[in-house]
Amino acid sequence: MFIQLVINGINYKVDIDPNMRLIDLLRDKLGLVGTKEGCGEGECGACTVIMDGESVNSCMVMAFQADGSNITTIEGLEENGELHPIQKAYMEEGSVQCGFCIPGMIMSTKALLDKHPNPNREEIREGISGNLCRCTGYNKAINAAERAIEILKEGAKNEA
Amino acid sequence: MKLNTVGKNIIRVDSYSKVTGKALYPQDIYLENMLYAKTLRSESPHAYIEVDTTEAEKVDGVVKIFTHKDVPYNHHGVVLHDHNVFCDKKVRSIGDPIAFIVGESEEACIRSMKAIKVNYAEIPGVFDPVEAMKEDSPKVHDDKSNIIYHYKLRKGNVEEAFKNCAVIVENTYSTHMQEHAFLQPEAGLSYVDEDGTIVVVVATQYPHYDREIIARALNLKDEQVRIINTNIGGAFGAREDITMQIHLALASKTLNRPVKVIYNREESFLAHSKRHPMIMKYKTGADKDGYLMAMEAEIIGDSGAYCSWAINVLRKAGVHSTGPYVIPNVKVDSYAVYTNNPFTGAMRGFGATQVPNAAEQQMDILAEKLGISPIEIRRRNIFRVGSKTATGQVLLEGVPLDRCLETIAEKYEEFLELKEFGNLKAEEESI
Amino acid sequence: MTLDQVFKGNSISEVLELLNQYKEDAKIIAGGTDIIIGLRNGKITPKVLIDISKIDELRQIQVEENKIIIGSATTYTQIVENELFDTNLYGFKKACRLVGSPQIRNKGTIGGNIANASPAADSIPPLIALGAELNISSLRGNRKLLLEDYFNEKEDNRLRADELLMSIEFEIPKKNQVLGFSKLGLRKALAISRVTLSSLIGIDDDVNIENIRVASGSIGKYPMREREVEEALIGKRFNSEILKIAASSLQSSMDKRLVGRSTYPYKRRAVVTLFEEVYKDNLSYFNEVTL
Repeated sequence: MFIQLVINGINYKVDIDPNMRLIDLLRDKLGLVGTKEGCGEGECGACTVIMDGESVNSCMVMAFQADGSNITTIEGLEENGELHPIQKAYMEEGSVQCGFCIPGMIMSTKALLDKHPNPNREEIREGISGNLCRCTGYNKAINAAERAIEILKEGAKNEA
Repeated sequence: MKLNTVGKNIIRVDSYSKVTGKALYPQDIYLENMLYAKTLRSESPHAYIEVDTTEAEKVDGVVKIFTHKDVPYNHHGVVLHDHNVFCDKKVRSIGDPIAFIVGESEEACIRSMKAIKVNYAEIPGVFDPVEAMKEDSPKVHDDKSNIIYHYKLRKGNVEEAFKNCAVIVENTYSTHMQEHAFLQPEAGLSYVDEDGTIVVVVATQYPHYDREIIARALNLKDEQVRIINTNIGGAFGAREDITMQIHLALASKTLNRPVKVIYNREESFLAHSKRHPMIMKYKTGADKDGYLMAMEAEIIGDSGAYCSWAINVLRKAGVHSTGPYVIPNVKVDSYAVYTNNPFTGAMRGFGATQVPNAAEQQMDILAEKLGISPIEIRRRNIFRVGSKTATGQVLLEGVPLDRCLETIAEKYEEFLELKEFGNLKAEEESI
Repeated sequence: MTLDQVFKGNSISEVLELLNQYKEDAKIIAGGTDIIIGLRNGKITPKVLIDISKIDELRQIQVEENKIIIGSATTYTQIVENELFDTNLYGFKKACRLVGSPQIRNKGTIGGNIANASPAADSIPPLIALGAELNISSLRGNRKLLLEDYFNEKEDNRLRADELLMSIEFEIPKKNQVLGFSKLGLRKALAISRVTLSSLIGIDDDVNIENIRVASGSIGKYPMREREVEEALIGKRFNSEILKIAASSLQSSMDKRLVGRSTYPYKRRAVVTLFEEVYKDNLSYFNEVTL
């Protein structure tokens, strides 16, 4: 069956198998392998993408359910070759080790900041509570979110 | 001296690729004309097996099912070669690989795997390492003793020393098995290069060992095998043992097509090692001033069905069993023991993580009995520059334990004050 | 997975037609957070999947007279973000906030939690305490069912193959009533609850308990009313004295149900603290509000 959807601003019309999940569509069909599968049951958050403005586990969405939706994956964050402030902050704060959780962690952080631009530490913690990290722990991810908020504010000031 | 790097934050070279999702792990790599594979694993902890693949081979989309018959040297292991590449006569733990099904799609492999008939003739297993050490216990590896290794440490004379102790504490401690749960489940792929080299693409802690082990199992020269290490999605010790590497090399060599396998989380749990559970029987004595006089310990590590690094891990546990304390008389016996449990191996600390659970609790209990603070008893016994460990090593430099202890001491005082305050508050409330 | 066909439901009537056509071969999918796991591990093997997550009528929260009606495909996030659940219905919001993780709450639905009938479904005990009713439809007609009866295994009340859970409704508690909730999980996020407790308590002018409904999760085969506690507390003055009474009657109910289970001694102790938390939540509401 064919579905139509927008991924990272690009219109796709793709032929899918009814048994396909959104993560299978992204990785196997469209080659967007930045989205990772860590558990396949919604526990680890490595497959997090933003679907119609909300973070979702792409292993917990059937591909056909994504028909007509607007999806952002980790590949869609860079703009004109410029890293997104959250990506920059993750690099600067040393929040990255093995890297497998990072795309999901960054997407959860983005979903949070899109909705609440100024969360406190506790709210950031809550915002990434659906993402597991086994190397670094969570403090550096929270530091990165705080740094990203700063960069975003500086950017807004410069624009104004 | 002007330092360019020390004391400065530097950005990791791999972080750009990781924050953009461009970093590739084995599951992210797709090759032309690629086949997929699935591993059939034992559902019994101890059984003789008969495997019938006749029906499974007929499943649409299946290319070949590999079993022990296809492997020239069906053994591997980082220290002892006690793993089978595929079990032949017997399975020794749940999760042991039995067959590798290669097909045009993962779904075809799954359908075929379900059609493989395995007849398990169950035999009594042993799941408690203490039981496993007894002469008459079921043996995991043929007629071999279940005791893989016995490490002995002797210093001074503990029996005499205990006679002179003012206080002696005796306890048995145990720690549990632990899963590494790195975030990237095992995955790998293999293909044959233009020059005939068998290339195995994996996330591994030991590319050089992998190469050797694959070559030996397949009766090849080392230089006929190449390992490409991708980004590694966490390891923590669990990527030291071979999982799919030989299976993949065998399949791509035989079929001359790229083959890819991805474990799901459940299979990942089954496929790799765990942290050794340890049973630690401790007897520790001190004089009336809180100076340690003697320690005797028996440490039993459950190695599960395979040795992996058990010898090294239990040696390390034995060496570290005193904790960072000077003890003049020490007697330690540590054992690595086979059982039919999941196999255990390397995990952060490598044997040095379990023993502090025992050694430090012994210190706290001794302090309590002597009426001194847990900080004070440590102050009197810690390693300092010039101290001699139980194994005879003289520590000549870099022993900042005293500074560590004093930092803790400050916090500990604050904690005690808080605790007292908390108690007072609770009492007020109850009135 | 065993799916031959999947449908994106556009309207309720279309979904009811499809259910009627495919019956046992079909499964409804909304948030997918439970069903996809079942599909993947082969525990369920439907041939047809019908998605209801895009049907607006099923994903809204409405107030009609003295009732709140929540569409079955309403997500936890929608509930958590709705101001209706900020004051004396906070217990319901709290339960929904403790479900899974942001990702799970963005997709998981209140109807899915009920239709899957997990004994550990966090959102169920507060709804039972509220006396919630289910609206169920099929081409054969509509039926209404008390949520607490849905879980009772003796009565065969579960959804039939051709039926769709439309909505959950309950009376808005009065100002002198408050809903409390507490959960024991092994950690904060992504924890399946070990025990949950919820109570709707109403007090009169003399601060005596005028009406009460208590419901539990995971301390029986299914989420259920705790009538023994209700009987023990009705008419009592609402103060910390009720904690002891509640603890002993909860434990006595558990003694009948759970003896022999490995988790029993643990849960038996845990309910005491859980009820205390529910009580404190209720107390802080009563303290803030002028009745």
